[in-house]
Amino acid sequence: MSTLLTFISVTDGKIKRSSLEVLSRCNELAAEHGLKSAALIISDKASEASEEVKAYGPDEIYTIEDPIFKNHINAPLLKALSSAIEQVKPQLVAFASTESSKDILGALAANRNAPALADVSEFELTDNGVKAKRPVMASKIISAVEAKGSPVLLTVRSGSYDVAESSSDASVEAISFSFDDADLKATLKEIIGAAGDKIDLSEAQTVIAAGRGVKDEEGLKMIDELASVLNAGIGASRALTESGVYDPSLQIGQTGKVVSPQLYIGIGISGAIQHVAGMINSKVIVAINKDPDAPIFEIADYGIVGDLYKVLPPFIEELKKVKNN
Amino acid sequence: MKIYVCIKQVPDVNAPLQIKDGELIQDADRNILNAYDASAVEESLVLKEAHGIEIEVVLIGPEKAKETLRKALAMGADKGTHIISDELVNPDSFVYAQLLAAFFKDKEYDFIFCGKQAQDTDAGLTGSMLAEFLNLPYATNAVGLSLDGSTLTVKRQGDAGQEIIELPSPGLVTCSNDMNEPRIPNLKGIMQSKRKPVDMISAADLGIDITEEQIKTRVLSFEEKPAREAGKKYEGEPDEIARKVAQLLDTKENVI
Ligand SMILES: Cc1cc2nc3c(=O)[nH]c(=O)nc-3n(C[C@H](O)[C@H](O)[C@H](O)COP(=O)(O)OP(=O)(O)OC[C@H]3O[C@@H](n4cnc5c(N)ncnc54)[C@H](O)[C@@H]3O)c2cc1C
Ligand SMILES: Nc1ncnc2c1ncn2[C@@H]1O[C@H](COP(=O)(O)O)[C@@H](O)[C@H]1O
Repeated sequence: MSTLLTFISVTDGKIKRSSLEVLSRCNELAAEHGLKSAALIISDKASEASEEVKAYGPDEIYTIEDPIFKNHINAPLLKALSSAIEQVKPQLVAFASTESSKDILGALAANRNAPALADVSEFELTDNGVKAKRPVMASKIISAVEAKGSPVLLTVRSGSYDVAESSSDASVEAISFSFDDADLKATLKEIIGAAGDKIDLSEAQTVIAAGRGVKDEEGLKMIDELASVLNAGIGASRALTESGVYDPSLQIGQTGKVVSPQLYIGIGISGAIQHVAGMINSKVIVAINKDPDAPIFEIADYGIVGDLYKVLPPFIEELKKVKNN
Repeated sequence: MKIYVCIKQVPDVNAPLQIKDGELIQDADRNILNAYDASAVEESLVLKEAHGIEIEVVLIGPEKAKETLRKALAMGADKGTHIISDELVNPDSFVYAQLLAAFFKDKEYDFIFCGKQAQDTDAGLTGSMLAEFLNLPYATNAVGLSLDGSTLTVKRQGDAGQEIIELPSPGLVTCSNDMNEPRIPNLKGIMQSKRKPVDMISAADLGIDITEEQIKTRVLSFEEKPAREAGKKYEGEPDEIARKVAQLLDTKENVI
């Protein structure tokens, strides 16, 4: 029986929710087509994570555990994925779309002579591959695409599918792996600005995004306060990551991250297509902008026309009230 | 030292688009140098200015894409190769990477720079595919570079933060537009670009024959994005409209 393999992304022992979304979709497809759904965990703490993954219903779990996977390094990850593909012989390998999976998708496709689709928002199986939808042209339009061959490799945008819990007594099989330091041609020297205990933007339920309209310390303080009231992740437009106000990892958009929260609040952001590409799938969009013609109002469910310095204080105060009730 | 930069001509995503019978129509036919590739060219020029490096740009594209190649030369690249692709039907990233790999097979270079993704497809695949075909160490999504001897130190935007990676020569890097502001060619650059050498070759010259059946992924059709209706605009007294919206987010949307 052929297998749909989902790569479960684990950082610091924590499983990325978006990879459980992908697993849930693969479980569903496997049931529909009479296939097996398996999870693949490649991590320094793979066996620990495998216990947790059982609650999400895969038929099988494969693990590759090695200290080298503590941080993302592409060469060993590629080798591990190749070994797993050789052993499991899946017809599909699906990843949550993260910087790490995007880093290796092309190389893995070249290595396996396999078709690859990046950043899909929907996918289904066909007789000889996969049909999928992907936003293109800075997410202005959707392309319906087809991949033929095996295994089809794909990365899936976060928020494309819901996570379904369904406990299983999946068997856990460790795949043997060894990596020679001599194979490690590039060296990871350091990681800076590691997000630590901050809220993961791509998985946050509420996102506050700040743009060029937020001009000073006072404005930034209000953003922080709003985020803490709503327990939200803070993101930014390129205007504020480029100028160094926010860390580049917080950029939302075509170059930055894709977010799909329940609530997105854009503050002092004009709504350039490259920014919108990263937030258009938010459930409720609120925009605060003093220019009534700002393009962001074309997609906002709630458009507050006004100076953010005047709008935010009562907005925060009212939200605090609502929260306390 | 020599750096090659792979550049692609893409339709300008800012120009109006239409979809007719599943086909994408861009009336303006405005085509530009992929913004991420412009950043790759810019970064190579910064290294050239500091270290005296030879920069060659490579573009696979139709005849009309030569204006894009000229643009990179006008920015300051020394030389160009145009791999004419008019006879290719529906190439995907894999095909481009195969062609580029064939081109680079007998070339000598220290580094190859690509863009992190093409602005039209947003695929982000060609760079690491090419690295794998050429068996090169690579780093994607670079937001900063520095060269020390023959080692490139790459700052890449990863999931957990910025990863600092040392890449020996020969290697490959894909560039984010967050690493720099690409220069606009000046008149002198534009004049000089006309005298810079450009090799024109075809896919067949590379010994590669790709039939449509071999292509692994293809676009079936283009579709409009489900439209997102503009909601309500609240104008007036800041205090009033701010409180009003805050309440609605709770009572109507239930997202607080
Ligand atoms: C290839 C490419 C990729 C890109 N990728 C991204 C990306 O991933 N993410 C991204 O964000 N951008 C990206 N950009 C940049 C994008 O095109 C815009 O330049 C950027 O999003 C603008 O940011 P902004 O809205 O904060 O600034 P602006 O466009 O300058 O807008 C600022 C807004 O703030 C409003 N404002 C000012 N003062 C106030 C006030 N006191 N109160 C209320 N409102 C106020 C103004 O009316 C204005 O609408 C990309 C560009 C390119 C070419
Ligand atoms: N036709 C092409 N000619 C030259 N380089 C290309 C071509 N297509 C893609 N590339 C390079 O590969 C990068 C990623 O492309 P893509 O995989 O399409 O997102 C681009 O930014 C270019 O650097």
